[in-house]
Amino acid sequence: MTGWVTDVHPTREELDACVHCGLCLPHCPTFRLTGNEAASPRGRITAMRAVNDGVLSVDEDFEEMLGFCLGCRACEAVCPGLVPYGRLFEGARAEIAAQRPTLVSSLRRRVLGRVLPTRRLVETGSGVVRILQKMRRLLPGAVGARLDGLRDLSDNPPSSLGRVAEPEGKPVATVGLLAGCVMDSWFGAVHHASIDLLRRAGYRVIVPRGQTCCGALAAHDGAAADAKRLAEVNRSAFAGVDIVVADAAGCSAHLADYRHWVDGGIDAETKDITVVIAEAIADGRLPTLEGDDPVVYQDPCHLRHAQRVTEEPRTIVRASGHRVTEIDPDGICCGAAGIYSVLRPRAAGELGTRKADQVRATGLTTVVSANPGCEMQLRTHLGDSYRVIHPVELYRERLLAESV
Amino acid sequence: MTLFDELVAVTDPERVTDRPFDLHLHSADAGLRTGEATVVVFAETTEEVCDVVRLAARHGVPLVARGAGTGLAAGAVPTEGGIVLTLTRMNTISDIDPVNRTAWVGPGVINLDLSRATAPFDLHFAPDPSSQQACTIGGNIANNSGGPHCLSEGSTVNHILAIEMVMADGEVVILGGAAPDPIGLDLRGVVVGSEGTLGIVIRALVKLTPDPPEVRTMLCAFPTVEGAAAAVSGIIAAGVVPAALEMMDQGMLVAVENWLHAGFPTESAAALIAEVHCAPEAADAEVDVIREVAEQEGATEVRVARDEAERALIWKGRKSAFGAIAQTAPNYYLHDTVVPRTRLVETISEMYRIADDADLTMMNVFHAGDGNLHPLIAFDATEPGMADKVHAAADEMVAACVARGGVLSGEHGIGAEKRDLMGTVFTELDLDAQARLKHVFDPDRVLNPRKILPAGSRCFDYGGSPLPEGTWI
Repeated sequence: MTGWVTDVHPTREELDACVHCGLCLPHCPTFRLTGNEAASPRGRITAMRAVNDGVLSVDEDFEEMLGFCLGCRACEAVCPGLVPYGRLFEGARAEIAAQRPTLVSSLRRRVLGRVLPTRRLVETGSGVVRILQKMRRLLPGAVGARLDGLRDLSDNPPSSLGRVAEPEGKPVATVGLLAGCVMDSWFGAVHHASIDLLRRAGYRVIVPRGQTCCGALAAHDGAAADAKRLAEVNRSAFAGVDIVVADAAGCSAHLADYRHWVDGGIDAETKDITVVIAEAIADGRLPTLEGDDPVVYQDPCHLRHAQRVTEEPRTIVRASGHRVTEIDPDGICCGAAGIYSVLRPRAAGELGTRKADQVRATGLTTVVSANPGCEMQLRTHLGDSYRVIHPVELYRERLLAESV
Repeated sequence: MTLFDELVAVTDPERVTDRPFDLHLHSADAGLRTGEATVVVFAETTEEVCDVVRLAARHGVPLVARGAGTGLAAGAVPTEGGIVLTLTRMNTISDIDPVNRTAWVGPGVINLDLSRATAPFDLHFAPDPSSQQACTIGGNIANNSGGPHCLSEGSTVNHILAIEMVMADGEVVILGGAAPDPIGLDLRGVVVGSEGTLGIVIRALVKLTPDPPEVRTMLCAFPTVEGAAAAVSGIIAAGVVPAALEMMDQGMLVAVENWLHAGFPTESAAALIAEVHCAPEAADAEVDVIREVAEQEGATEVRVARDEAERALIWKGRKSAFGAIAQTAPNYYLHDTVVPRTRLVETISEMYRIADDADLTMMNVFHAGDGNLHPLIAFDATEPGMADKVHAAADEMVAACVARGGVLSGEHGIGAEKRDLMGTVFTELDLDAQARLKHVFDPDRVLNPRKILPAGSRCFDYGGSPLPEGTWI
């Protein structure tokens, strides 16, 4: 008799992929912080198996174990047994949501599953944030610090939703760009750079109006019904495009896993923007610029671990006339992890500090990262004197400077 | 006060737990056998370890030390219940001495982290078990761990100069010293490999090894397992002792390749990984000897890694092999028996025969140069009767090795898993001597009890004396 109640629970087959060899342990940020099996991927999988076998149940401790997990999926990338940890994690979180709902967690899931995907509400919220940013000096420390990672929203360019950009010649393919939940309102410049580079690389780009939030944050937090619904909306919205591209690592990783939420996944290739642009550079559709200025590149977990994309963003950085400086051979999570930094400030803070120290040790002040969460976490921990930027922005900036 | 409360009093409430999930997770290692922990403690200081050991003794509760839990012989499994003392947080590396090539290391330091920390000095810790990215130095000491490169460098005991240990009575001693051969009885050598049954190691002075000036890593593909095995003794007989000489059979090659996409020869029955460490001038000659012997034994392809990236990929594949078994079946079981190198060919054939006769899936990935076998049986433990069948076949494999002059374990330790097979290689007198040694260190049998030595090892001791009082023996 299993202890599961939902239809997305971790399955016996998925759990059986783990022979508990323990090779994942040192790659797990929370195991590194605590040295505790219960804070390790193997421990979490063993716990899921205990629930699956009816030995233990989804209780307070199970909730804590899974709540402490960042969902960075570093364990998945190093697992020779091919355990689908990301899927198991989302399944277990959905069980917690179903079996142990609290007022706060239900409200939180409602925000992630309903509010974030509602454009009007995000815009209203962004308006409030914009005002708070102007009043930054007047705010108490803890509230103010939350804002420090953000870009200045008053600089945010107009929404990209509904845009269609045509290349100069015959299109290589049609790309549908995911506008995302907060990307458009908070990181709009990344979209603008992406669209421009895609167009220059020969793609026809559309940003369909009918699309919505990818649902990654909802899925990570166990809002399974919302995650399914959002995946279905996007599947319809992107029907007919050749490639669906996201320029936030967390979103592109989630798109790649849509088959977990809708049968067959999305009817097109899904790719992170860094992969598409790196391909175009390799094909000579985009130029490789001269230069050797050193910058730091930080691997977002959802590129490096979830999608095993490591070379492509570096290719873009190099093609933009920069030299890549490495900071962390293991790619340990920076602690942002979606909304983790808000829910678990202590662990997130420790990881953020470690990452910031690694950056500071290089003596460089520009950090390139391809995910909004990482960007905010890095900016929070590094402060104003550092520049944190998406690789496509860095590349386009140089491209424009060269062509002047 | 209860034991739990007393443990909290000497450590920290956040580092003592008896919650069901925590106990469940700390009742197993990477092997199959499980136990039932009563309480789990995470120690951070020497004083805490001393206090916990004293409490265990006073309450008469078994104490099992644990590192990363990557063991395969249940050495760190609380088979008798009691306290699981996790030492992962005692992970300090200090006093790195690049001139004398030593460092003091906490038991919770991860093996690979140590080599990374000493890399700036062109030094590394030579024992490199396949689990080196995860396993801890404490566990390496407990099991006298080996690894591919122990062929040339020797196992952990050759790389531990001194040990700081908490004794069963809570006192701290240092065994061994910085000198190459300290005077007196070699108690350090006694403790290395004792699997936490004699004391709790809280720090070790490790010997660091200079990085080799030249490294060549070769991958040789063979159409038969026997051919690969014959090449192993052939290479060493030809006068070359490679730094490492490993074999992977086809099942293993396919599983690893499926994960890593490193270009392993999945069409071949077996592959040998040979690594040469030497002076740059000698490298080509050694590579040529290995190539020649391999080709004589029928190798269809001999590849030399072109760069560090390709070399790293080959080793990553080799060292992740056990985990890759999961692609075949949810469970695996193995013994790490050792046979004389010259009997590898016949022994390996025998392993496959035993597996075939029992209709079991077996794969092989092992330290061929040492004759240290790892016949892995992949199976599903939920199939009725399967576990018994697997154990029976594994026992038969051990017997086949022992009959050829082999031993029970090359590096994984005896733990609980091979404890009851000790009688196949030791006489009663041997076991009694070992049990007496254990008694000297741990008279009350608090430290990892019922590991290594089977019940009844100590003549007249277990379960009360059968002799009348006053009898002179």
